[in-house]
Amino acid sequence: MNSGRNGKRIRPRGQAHNAQAIQGTSASRRFSPRRAGLVLSVLALAGCSSIEAPVPKDPDALEDYKQANDRYEPLNRKVYNLTMKFDKWALRPVAKAYVWAVPHPVRNSLGNMITTMNEPSVFFNDVGAGRPRRAGDAFARWCINMSVGIGGLIDVAKMAGFPHHDNDAGLTMANWGVPSGPYLFLPMGPSSFRDGIGYGIDQGLSPWNYVPRGYGLISFNWAYNMMGVVHGRSEHLDDLDALQRDALDPYATIRSAYQQQRKAQAEAIKNDHRATVPLWYHVKNRQQG
Amino acid sequence: MKFFSGRRFILGSLALLCAANLTALPARAAHNTRQFIENFGNKLVAIVNSPIPLSEKKEQVLPLIQQNVDIDAIGRYCLGRYWKVATPEQQKEYIGLFHQVLVNAITDKLGDYRGVSFTIGNVTKSGDDESVDATLVRPQQPPATMQWIISNASGTDKVVDVVGEGASLRLTQRQDYSSYIARNGGNVGALINALKRQIAHHTPDAH
Repeated sequence: MNSGRNGKRIRPRGQAHNAQAIQGTSASRRFSPRRAGLVLSVLALAGCSSIEAPVPKDPDALEDYKQANDRYEPLNRKVYNLTMKFDKWALRPVAKAYVWAVPHPVRNSLGNMITTMNEPSVFFNDVGAGRPRRAGDAFARWCINMSVGIGGLIDVAKMAGFPHHDNDAGLTMANWGVPSGPYLFLPMGPSSFRDGIGYGIDQGLSPWNYVPRGYGLISFNWAYNMMGVVHGRSEHLDDLDALQRDALDPYATIRSAYQQQRKAQAEAIKNDHRATVPLWYHVKNRQQG
Repeated sequence: MKFFSGRRFILGSLALLCAANLTALPARAAHNTRQFIENFGNKLVAIVNSPIPLSEKKEQVLPLIQQNVDIDAIGRYCLGRYWKVATPEQQKEYIGLFHQVLVNAITDKLGDYRGVSFTIGNVTKSGDDESVDATLVRPQQPPATMQWIISNASGTDKVVDVVGEGASLRLTQRQDYSSYIARNGGNVGALINALKRQIAHHTPDAH
């Protein structure tokens, strides 16, 4: 469920990047979250009559409605259907071809690179959430993997005792006590008001969105974005196929799993009170003492 | 020495005994739960890792699941508020179908794994039930952590839920079912038909 760039998502956030590819200029790239917001609000206005689900009167049904936290279900379902159509005819076949053509170790290395290159955003969010140990891990991962790990292709940091962890601005805000707001299905995957805003913030926190023109860096950035989307999707080919096959209402299943998962992730960060020094320090001390 | 004499002493020791019992009880329960999941897990892993053909694995796993997993309770939970709405016949039919769906879902996974092992971590209370942390180690894949929820409501320890990556399987399933029923006019019969279709389309050798 890794989209490639900013951590866990059931569906990759890919299409946003694809849209950028068509628009092309670096300015539109930088402010793409805003643009995505604009598109969303236009969509919202266009379908004004049917974007909100009616509030049920039956108390049991009301309970379900509250639990699902999906006020804009009709709109979300439309976006979901469109996204799944795009997935079926474009993203999934490409991801399958990628798995077929690229050997596993190479894919693994590319996955490492994508994770490493997102580490700055994880780091800033760890700092924002006030979790020094996590921030330290992310920082060490970035430094080690970008140098010894050859630009992130080899996850040396993991071997050195700094395993990867996810974080994004949505989770950081969750730790600040910001409520999630209603559920949203965005073209890049399941989200919520809070997590959608968080996605925009993460774009701002990622240094790759600030690369200067020239030196081929922008082309590299495109390749990286596309790569992240395809790779992220390729990691969940079987999961999503199984879900589509087994769930009676895949939309509701994804919604439920996403909401539970985000809650658990936020809890995990909240309950992480580990000391700032890494594990090997304690082990060493214990051996000496 | 007056303290030790008479009724007071008896009452005091009784109270102490009770207190000791009370503190010992959860520990014992946790111990039993751990043993239960260790037993169940070891048997399951032994079947998964054995070199016998897949069809035989499925046969062997079936009684193990029926004995250790409270499928009826999970089925009732998954139907949620519609359990009360359903007629007794519908309830019976649904539970029968649910058994099959759940067993299919588990046996489908059997072929995917080979050479797995698992470790058991903390046992904590989770409402009325107990939650056991477990880590599944598969070759060439990152270890998967999960929580097994064990309930004693049926008289013996049984698995009622598995939580992976923060998502409870039975809750996710319940929201899937209830959304499906709600979108089909609140009709439990629609779910029963869908489950029938699912079982009919199930190809056991898909994996």
